Amino acid sequence: MANRVQFENNNEVGVFARLTNSYALVCQGSSEGFYSVFESELADQIPVIHASVAGCRFLGRVCVGNRNGLLLPNSCSDRELQHIRNALPDRVVVQRVEERLSALGNCIATNDHVALVHTDLDRETEDIIADVLGVEVFRQTIAGNALVGSYCVFTNQGGMVHPKTTTEDLEELSSLLQVPLVAGTVNRGSDVLGAGLIANDWSAFCGADTTSTELSVIESIYKLDGTMGGPSRPGAAVGASAATSAGPSSAGQSKTQGSVSADIRASLIDTMT
Amino acid sequence: MSGKYDFKSIRPVPSADDFVDIVLSKTQRKTPTVVHQGYQIGRIRAFYMRKVKFTAESFVEKLGWILEDFPKLDDIHPFYGDLCNVLYDRDHYKLALGQLNVAKSLISTTSRDYARLLKYGDSLYRCKQLKRAALGRMCTLMKKHKSSLGYLEEVRKHLSRLPSIDPSTRTLLITGYPNVGKSSFMNKVTRADVEVQPYAFTTKSLYVGHMDYKYLRWQVLDTPGILDKPLEERNTIEMQAITALAHLQCCVMYFVDLSEQCGWTLEQQVALFDNIRPLFANKPLVIVANKIDLVPFESLSEAHRELLDKMVKDSGAELLTMSAAADMNIADVKQRACELLLERRVEMKAKSKKAAGILNRLTVAMPAARDGKDRPAFIPEGVIEARARKQAMGDANPADDEDGDVSMDGNDGKKTKKTLHQLEQEAGGPGHISFDYRRYYELRKDEFKYDVIPEIVDGKNIADFIDVDIMQKLEALEREEEERAAREEAELQAHEDAESDMDEEEKDFADRIRKKKALVVAKHREDQHKKRGRLSRKVTNATAQSAGGVQNELEEIGYDAATVEPETSARGRKRERTADPSLEAAEAEQAERDSRGRSISRTRVLEREAKSSLGTVDRAINANKRRKSSQRGFQLKARAGEADRHVVTKMPKHLFSGKRGIGKTQRR
Repeated sequence: MANRVQFENNNEVGVFARLTNSYALVCQGSSEGFYSVFESELADQIPVIHASVAGCRFLGRVCVGNRNGLLLPNSCSDRELQHIRNALPDRVVVQRVEERLSALGNCIATNDHVALVHTDLDRETEDIIADVLGVEVFRQTIAGNALVGSYCVFTNQGGMVHPKTTTEDLEELSSLLQVPLVAGTVNRGSDVLGAGLIANDWSAFCGADTTSTELSVIESIYKLDGTMGGPSRPGAAVGASAATSAGPSSAGQSKTQGSVSADIRASLIDTMT
Repeated sequence: MSGKYDFKSIRPVPSADDFVDIVLSKTQRKTPTVVHQGYQIGRIRAFYMRKVKFTAESFVEKLGWILEDFPKLDDIHPFYGDLCNVLYDRDHYKLALGQLNVAKSLISTTSRDYARLLKYGDSLYRCKQLKRAALGRMCTLMKKHKSSLGYLEEVRKHLSRLPSIDPSTRTLLITGYPNVGKSSFMNKVTRADVEVQPYAFTTKSLYVGHMDYKYLRWQVLDTPGILDKPLEERNTIEMQAITALAHLQCCVMYFVDLSEQCGWTLEQQVALFDNIRPLFANKPLVIVANKIDLVPFESLSEAHRELLDKMVKDSGAELLTMSAAADMNIADVKQRACELLLERRVEMKAKSKKAAGILNRLTVAMPAARDGKDRPAFIPEGVIEARARKQAMGDANPADDEDGDVSMDGNDGKKTKKTLHQLEQEAGGPGHISFDYRRYYELRKDEFKYDVIPEIVDGKNIADFIDVDIMQKLEALEREEEERAAREEAELQAHEDAESDMDEEEKDFADRIRKKKALVVAKHREDQHKKRGRLSRKVTNATAQSAGGVQNELEEIGYDAATVEPETSARGRKRERTADPSLEAAEAEQAERDSRGRSISRTRVLEREAKSSLGTVDRAINANKRRKSSQRGFQLKARAGEADRHVVTKMPKHLFSGKRGIGKTQRR
């Protein structure tokens, strides 16, 4: 399920937290409200820990990680690093990198297998990413934006990219990442997906402004509805196939979230053009 | 509805008489009315010229409105064009508007002509006559178009009552023989309230209703029933249906009455279908077999069923059965029709250029396999189980789906842990409680969590010296240490074995030496313990002591040892009996000091320090100056100091009381 959250009245939740398949880092706010959203959703499965980087709360934008590891920027202090090391399970490698582009979260987007990185990233950093996170690394831009971490969010199940990404780019990125991709928005039309949305393989959190349409797209592309590898086909939304797949199969439970979003998309084509 | 087809906003067309009245009274109201013979001729001409021009302008303006408001049949959607043709006769309509257009230009010509003539009017009377003639001609012109105006007003009234059909939107169009249940269906699926009566041609014009499906607005068009006859013979009512069929890009629902209660046999209905089939070309088509509550589809005769099958097969349509009266399958029919249309529309729009702009947002790019590597998702077992459980719960009671989470928690019987937020609320809100973030540390032992590790040790950041394999190294070191210890032990053993070549007597002797040694050491230690207390200065003074020793001691205590020097030397010389009185004095002082102990010398030291606190002569002078200047103010006011607030009598009574005669003031 995707959740709508706010951090101290701010909808850019991706700035204040970092979520992977084996841990979640949440910044410390003035109340524990934000933390507890993650805690109640995830704490049974993975450690959800408070952290900060360089004494600041924007840890989601400056660190990047996946199931295997976590990269922190040079500005992260020894004490913070130690805290994170202590709190994370031992198999997660925590590494601090000397990188000029220190907002690693904005410059790197990754899942557990593939990473997209900023085109100007150091070669050493690239090697560290490959080693620590155990991923293939590709230098890419998303719809002309070098900040790949800000403009796309992908998990092992699927991904969303900047809404202006062309169909060709989508195809190319999709075959690089080997996950289904869709161009979309969060927070009522915001194209900064990295800030508005955080996701892992079974849960997602987005800003409270996110519309239900956006939410249903998120749920179907990240396969959060629970039909793992099942017939949930986010691809069904394309053109004519949308209408056929949605078909007359309205019988009760079989109408999944996926087909709802397919419905909406067919309607969108009809109304927007 | 788009503004393009807003026929309701057409301004009313006045009849010819009213038209003239309106314009003339407007002229009367809006132009000057007083003119005199005595005026200059130019002024008189201008007065009448203005009247003529104003009247013409009013006519032209009003006619312009009519020409502008009424839809131009060639410009509007062909559906409306044809509908207008059917309802109002295109030729008549065009003729009426054309006549008004001509009238408009004639009126402006007349106005121009008479304005020119008025320039030559040489008296008030002539000018007035010219004006009358001009206005009269304009009015006559308008009266000639009485019938056109009347006709256009009727058209306007009818147009404004036409249902607002948007020809470009999603439309379901219902057609069929009269009385087959078209309007009943319409009433069921939309909020429209079309009259349903058990006789043919109850519906005599187009009706439009709206419904929602898939978050979209759909219009449903109910058409009058049509009969099976050639196009030329159709009446206006049928032609409306035909027009709609021909021009609207819609999903056609052809209704068939299985029960034949409408008065037409199934064969006839099929024949009509075949007749109007050209109109269905390129449109999604659904054949709806209605009234199955009366004649179930299964109970149809073989011939009829074949007939229907053939009809379906030939047209490529879909056959759906329903009953509007008995509420059977209505939703399915509606859904299917909508789906067909939407599919068709989306297909067409996806091909168009406009769609390219948004298509990227509606595309899901599926990855083409780039290598044989498997890239699985990592979902914890717990999540999968929870999902399966929820699924099972949902299947068990789908009605309860909304509060599934709550009931699940309840059924589990597992006490859910309180979140930090809940704890915080219980403690009285943020700021009242602080949490221990080390509690979730994952360390080898729990007691490690609260170990205090310094950040900086000996000016060095210990984090810089952290070695990832420190444990292995430590282990290796320990192992080496153990090995070394074992080796030394062995060596020692071997050495002892080798050295023990003393005989019994020697051993005994060595033993005794050791014992004696131990005793001496013990004695010494005991003595040392006894002597731990320090001797007093007197005792130490009494003992012969070197000057250096005293100096050292003084320095140790913290005094300036240099001052001690002459005294000690004096004392040294005393034994030689020198008769130096100063030395004598020093000696006496020393003796006195000794008798009084340290306290005197201490005060003296302090005194000296107090004096020297003023430091140099300069500082002393400066301090004096400042003291004086601070007292200056008080001295001027003759005050002793800040605390002196004495107020002397301002007006002494004895000087200011009593009579004042002519004499001197001061003599009182």
